[in-house]
This record gives sequence, C-alpha cells and structure tokens, in this order.
Amino acid sequence: MTVTSSGSAAIDIDHLKVSYGNNRVLHGVSLSVAKGEFIAILGSSGCGKTTLLRTIAGFQKASGGAIRLFGRDVVDMPPEKRGMAMMFQSYALWPHMSVLGNVGYGLRLRGVSREEIRKRVAEVLRMLNLSGLEDRKVTNLSGGQRQRVALGRALAIEPEILLLDEPLSNLDAKVRLQLRTEIKTLQSRLGFTAIHVTHDREEAMTMADRIVVMDAGHIAQVGTPKEVFDNPVSPFVASFMGAENTLHLDVRASGAGIEVKAEQGHAVQWNGDVPVGPVTAYFRDDVASLGDPSVAIEGSIVLPGTITQRTYPGGHYRYVVAIADRHFTVTDDDYHELDRPVGLRLPLASLHLFPSEQSQGGFHA
Amino acid sequence: MTRPSFFGLLLIAPALAMIGALFLYPLGFSLAAAFTDGSGNPTLAHFAKAYELYSTDILFTLFIVVTATILTGVVSIAIAGILTLGETPWLVAILRNLYRWPLFIPFIVAAQCMRTFLAKNGLMNNSLVAMGIMEPIQATSLLDWRGIIITFVWKQVPFVTLMVAGAMASVDRSTIEAGRNLGASRPRVLIELVLPQVAQTLLVGLVLSFVTMLSVLSVPMMVAGSQPTMLTVDMAFRINSYGDYATANALGVISYAISGIAAWIYLRHNVKREVQA
Repeated sequence: MTVTSSGSAAIDIDHLKVSYGNNRVLHGVSLSVAKGEFIAILGSSGCGKTTLLRTIAGFQKASGGAIRLFGRDVVDMPPEKRGMAMMFQSYALWPHMSVLGNVGYGLRLRGVSREEIRKRVAEVLRMLNLSGLEDRKVTNLSGGQRQRVALGRALAIEPEILLLDEPLSNLDAKVRLQLRTEIKTLQSRLGFTAIHVTHDREEAMTMADRIVVMDAGHIAQVGTPKEVFDNPVSPFVASFMGAENTLHLDVRASGAGIEVKAEQGHAVQWNGDVPVGPVTAYFRDDVASLGDPSVAIEGSIVLPGTITQRTYPGGHYRYVVAIADRHFTVTDDDYHELDRPVGLRLPLASLHLFPSEQSQGGFHA
Repeated sequence: MTRPSFFGLLLIAPALAMIGALFLYPLGFSLAAAFTDGSGNPTLAHFAKAYELYSTDILFTLFIVVTATILTGVVSIAIAGILTLGETPWLVAILRNLYRWPLFIPFIVAAQCMRTFLAKNGLMNNSLVAMGIMEPIQATSLLDWRGIIITFVWKQVPFVTLMVAGAMASVDRSTIEAGRNLGASRPRVLIELVLPQVAQTLLVGLVLSFVTMLSVLSVPMMVAGSQPTMLTVDMAFRINSYGDYATANALGVISYAISGIAAWIYLRHNVKREVQA
C-alpha cells in the first residue's frame, strides 16, 4: 500500500502515535511520501488528519514513532528547525505587515539582504498574479488574494516540503477552483513535495498524486485517486468516496460462477470475484441507471421500484426511486415520468461488495 | 423627544452630581488656587516657588515613573510571552498562578514588604550572603530610588501582564505557528509577530500604570524617604507641615501635566490606529 521506506523518501512517517492527554488520536500511522509527490489526506472531521499534518510540522508532539525528512529524524525537533512551509485555513497573515513584509519574512529570517528580498518577493508575486501589491496592507486584500499572499510567503523560502492545512476551505467556490489549479501548477513547476489536508473529496481527487483516506486515527487506504475511487478497500472508504447507497445481497456459488440475488428482483449469474455469503453493496448515484423493470440484463441486477421524485441539477436528472421500503438516489440522463414502475439497473462490476459483518463495523461518513 | 431626554437626565443625575461634587469641583478649585494669589488675582508665583524648591523632585519623579513604566513593559512582555509561547507545561502553570498575586496587595503593604526585603540587612541581602553569592561587606541598602522602582515594577507588572497575556491569547494562533514554521525562534515570534498585534493593549496598560505610579504616596514615603523624593511626598509635606495649599496645588498641576502627556501619547496613537483601520 505504501511506497517502500527508504532514505530517499521526502517524508517517511513510521508508526506515528499522537495523544491528547489520555485520548489517543493517531494509532501508529505509517506513510512514505516520495520527493515531488502531491499527497492529499482525506477524512471527515476528527479523523486525525489535521493532527497528522501538525505533527509533521512540529506543532503537536508525537508520543511514539518517527518522522524522517529526507532520512533525518525530526520527531523531537522544534517546528522552526524543520524547514518546511505551511499554509493555514485562516491564512495566518501578519496584519501589522505589508504584503512585502509577509512574503519576505522567511527570507529576512534567513539573513537575505533588503534589496534581494524585494527582488525575490517581486518574482513570487508575479508568479501569483499579485504584482505591484508589495506595499499593500494585507488587511486590505480579498480572501483569494490573502491566501495567494500566504502561498507566496510559503513558497518564497523555496521549501522542499509544503504543508497545506485546508487552505481553500474559507474561499468561495470560484476562487477555490482557481487556486486549486494554481497550487497544482506551481507544484509541478517548482517540484516541491506537498501534503494537503482536506475534507473535500473532489479537491483531493483533482490535486493529489496519491490520496490517503483516514478514519479514526488510522489510515484506511492509500492509493492514486483512481484506485481509491474505483477500488475502495473498506465500506468506510467506499462511502467516503461517494458510494453512499447500500443494498444487501446474497451471493451463492452456482456452477462455474456465482449467483447474486437481492431481496427483490431475480437472481443473476455472474463470474466476478466477490465474497460468498451475505454481502452489502455500496454504489454511487451515477453507476445505477433506470429502465424497463421486466428486461433482464446480463451482469446487472434489476430491482423493480417506482420513481418518487425527480430533480434537474443540470446535465442529467436525479431521481429518488422507492424499492420496497428503501429509497435510492440515482442519476440518469433520460427523462422518466413520476410514479411509474421502473427497473433500477445495477451493473455488478461497478458495485463495491463487502461481507455484511464487515460493513456493520465500519464508520459511515 | 423632550420626555425621554428628561428622564435620561434624571437617571444619570445622581452619578453626575457625584462627579461634579467629588471630582470636578475640587479639581477646578485646586486649578484655580494654583493660579491665583490670596486675594484672587492671577499669578504664577506658586509655580515659581514650586520650581525653585522642587525642580529636582520633578525630574526625579519623571525619571522614576518613566523607568518603572519601561521596566514594567519589558517584564510584562516577557511573562506574557512565556505564558503564550511556553512549551513547558509545569512552568507555564506555575507562572500563571503566581504572577497575579501582587495585584491583591495594596501599595502600602508592598512598600512595607520591600522595606524589610531590600534593606542593608534585609531578606534579599541576607539570602544572597547565606547562599554565598555575595560577601556581607558588599551588602548595600536598595532603599532609595532603586527601591521605589523595584516596588512599582513588582506591583504593576501583574496588571499589565494580565492585559497583555489576555490580548496575546486572543491573537490568531496560526499567525504564531506560521512564523515558527518559516523558521522564527520563539523570541523572534514574540517580538516581531505577537507584540505588534497586542501593542495597543500594552500601551493602554502602560499608560494606566504610568498614571497610577505618578499618584502613589506610600511607596516613595516608606521606601526611600529622604531627598530627592517624588512629587506626591512634596505635596503631602507642603500641606501637612505648612498648610501651603497653593504650592501643593501648583505641584498637583505639574502632575496633571505629566499624566496629560501620557494621555496625549495614548490618544494620538489610538487615533492613528483608527485611521489606518
């Protein structure tokens, strides 16, 4: 699951444990991040993702384990010696300083001369489309500009590692999308290693090379966005990645393959690799489709139901389909009448199937 | 329109009367007395006399109060800084519990304590000698200008620290972390990032301390006693020994003028901040 631990890894986290008093928040997290990689740590609030980031930065003491940056153990090092840069959710700009003062502060700490600071800050600001704002007070900037200044402040010291603590979540949707692209572009251009904490799935998917899904102080899954999205390893990851509809199915061996049967609907023969016994299927709105309830389709289970609600969020319709006493949300490109019998088609290959006992133990986001 | 304002006036009338009778009238009276002779003619003779007799004490007072204010500021910033940025939980806890105590001790008790603590054979020198840090022959009394400053600082530090530490606690924590993250040591974070954000509160605390110290009689009287001394002692002396209210009033006006300068510095800074914001 993780890249092999070696001295070449930019960040190597080894069985990291963190506690607040008697309350353990991280239970031995291990993760290896390669140089130049963009990692997103994804999880719901309280899962320990921010604690993990703050422990890497040095603001939170570890109670066990190691953090190695390029092979050097920093677990007992104060934050100012670790040589990383960080972006904060609240921007964390210094209100008594100008843009120049904020962006140039890291350089000032490194003893760079006044003229050199001005020159390098100007370069950074040009990169961020903030040219000419050097002498502006940061309190007179918009949210997007402030977070750009914070990004500039972090990048001015040319860090090897950039930590991002939900830096986009205070911004409005349009600016957020812009900055997402800008950060990603700068990262590929400058080649720094980035760890981005977020609870926004789409943000993680679009920005990261690999996603780390965290759940209750453990890493639930690590993989490329596609791996995590298409092949979640647990019910928690499946529902966190958007497969929020669940359906109980019964899987039995039958001939060469298996036979899958829902409470309603007909049994379907299949040759996929699935656990035998009672299973719970997790699926996203968009893998299901609607059709004639009487037509059997190979490799799909068809559940008879009625459409109870239809909305048009744009691009496709969204339906609520009642099957017995359950309701499912389904997106479908075609227009269907309300209160008509309909078949909910679920292609077995697109369902995430887990043995039912396991799914009961999982946490649902 | 008239009815509510009439009732409003009625409501604040007792308070207004108290301020008038107990503050404005005596203030006006002493101001008038400072600038008039026995028969009511305007004169600056009282000021000439006050200057002639007490010019050294005026400078001495200024020196004591300014020095004590600066030291109070430095010590308060250090304590508030440790409380805000300290990473040794037990040290922070002890400091947090200890630093407020002098707030509850009156100036006169503080002065009495300092008499026994700072004297030639006082607790401080005896302890230093007992610990072998100092030879008995080196022991000197600190019961002079140094004693006054030490007592003032000891008494005012908790007050200013209380205000400054409160302001530091409400500073966005991530602005501190951003500084350390970029490589700033804690002292640099305190001076360059935290202090400018609480400068306003620090200034208020220091101006209030300045005015308080200017008006304390017991400390200079008990701790130092001899010449030169502070204006409060001189005023008490003019009144108690000579019944010379005129010169005492002139010295009072000089005290107002000194605290007026402090108030002016404060207001000017305040207005500048508001214009910027």
